[in-house]
Amino acid sequence: MRSPLSRAQGLGSAREGVEHWWMQRATAVALIPLTLWLTASLIALMRSDYDTLIAWLRTPIATILMVLLLIALFHHISLGLRVVVEDYVHSDRAKIPAVVAIRLACYALAIAGIFATLRIAFDG
Amino acid sequence: MLIRSSDQLPRGTALKRFPVPRNFGVSSESRIERGKTWSAPAGATRVKKFEIYRYDPESRRNPRIDTYEVDLDGCGPMVLDALIKIKSEIDSTLTFRRSCREGICGSCSMNIDGTNWLACTRFISDSTEPTTIYPLNHLRVIKDLVPDLTHLFAQYSLIEPWLQTTTPTPEKERLQSREDRSKVDGYYECILCFCCTSGCPSHWWNGDRFLGPAVLLQAYRWLIDSRDEATGDRLDNLEDPFRLYRCHTILNCTRTCPKGLNPGRAIASIKKMIVQRRS
Amino acid sequence: MAHDNRPLSPDLQIYRPQLTSVLSISHRITGIALSVGTLLLISWLIAAAAGPQAYSTVQGFIGSWFGLVLLCGWTFSFFFHLCNGIRHLVWDTGCGFELRTIYASGWTVITASSVLTVVAWIASFALVR
Repeated sequence: MRSPLSRAQGLGSAREGVEHWWMQRATAVALIPLTLWLTASLIALMRSDYDTLIAWLRTPIATILMVLLLIALFHHISLGLRVVVEDYVHSDRAKIPAVVAIRLACYALAIAGIFATLRIAFDG
Repeated sequence: MLIRSSDQLPRGTALKRFPVPRNFGVSSESRIERGKTWSAPAGATRVKKFEIYRYDPESRRNPRIDTYEVDLDGCGPMVLDALIKIKSEIDSTLTFRRSCREGICGSCSMNIDGTNWLACTRFISDSTEPTTIYPLNHLRVIKDLVPDLTHLFAQYSLIEPWLQTTTPTPEKERLQSREDRSKVDGYYECILCFCCTSGCPSHWWNGDRFLGPAVLLQAYRWLIDSRDEATGDRLDNLEDPFRLYRCHTILNCTRTCPKGLNPGRAIASIKKMIVQRRS
Repeated sequence: MAHDNRPLSPDLQIYRPQLTSVLSISHRITGIALSVGTLLLISWLIAAAAGPQAYSTVQGFIGSWFGLVLLCGWTFSFFFHLCNGIRHLVWDTGCGFELRTIYASGWTVITASSVLTVVAWIASFALVR
């Protein structure tokens, strides 16, 4: 039997949220040139054979840009999917594990991708 | 199709509604059923059909859509005039809020032909055939077209919409330059009709915690009022992943405002202020 | 609340789709599609690191008709999310909120992402090594 104002107040303001908003925009800005670079490179390499691809990916610039891309991309994805889950999933029991799982999956995929990139760069 | 102002209606319609089933995701007590049809009197020449959402709290029945055929001769030009004519000549049980009939009180806000507007400023000639009238979206219905706005007004009081100062009250007025006063233009004119808030999908899904465009526009109105001295506390109160940051700039609010205001811009300005205070 | 057996007024079921809401939900849908697509990107990278055999398996999948359909959808999703993302970043600076600008930029995003998708695919077929 709460008053309408008490319902609207809820648990009060969390006094945070700008960090998430800012990092989403910062990673987005970083991703504009990085994804355009990746797309252009993949289009150029579409018909190449395996060795040409490896030679391209092995160059220092390609390696560094790919690692930066993976970091920015998975951070952006983690933040974005978190917002989607918060919007549509309302029970805490489902929401919090889902957000944590997404974040861990993004870390795992990012590290796997970075490992693969560095493997190509330093192998042989 | 380029829309220049919110009172401009689209010339054509690709889709009248999203391609979901009529009662998609709707709980059993909210399922809408077919209702009655009230035919026009014999000899009526200019007849228009109105399909109106009806709900009677005293019956144990679900809401329904009643169809009214209205003779536009002897009816004023606005949708509100048609509703009043239906109530006085056809079906006196039709219930809706109204007061000023000139677009300033905000009482007659409702969903007309799929978008939210004031019934008293929407021309019947601008509406589709049939004209579909629903109450404001995703709100508990008290009766017919009357939604329960209690929670929306509670969210409004949460942002403390009054002047807060620590400087002692001056002898005469608190001075404000013309330039400072002009910053409030475009925000003070809100009539709290809640067309924007009830048209916001984020408020549909998270309205219990997300404040919504109307309340956030008013929050901004107090944030940029130069006489107010509680800006920091107001921003603290707003900076919350749900209260403010459920806004994803969908911009249904700016599209639908019957007073031509811009809640989308106000919310973006609040977000900018929050970033600025930590830069 | 004493009477919550009262009905909830309809929302998504009757609200008119407008450029504002349609582009916004498309931005979200393309974002989710792209996120799922990164699984393919990572498997492609891992296959490249694993050696020519693993790589040709992944390339074979991408080159299959199903893979090409996915790639086509993914390309359009990418360009749409990119262009609409830039539109969002402009809004975050506080500019572009007039209704006329909202609509003009919205149509520009749709046109630009379609054109960029077609150009990208033409370029990929034109560059034969």
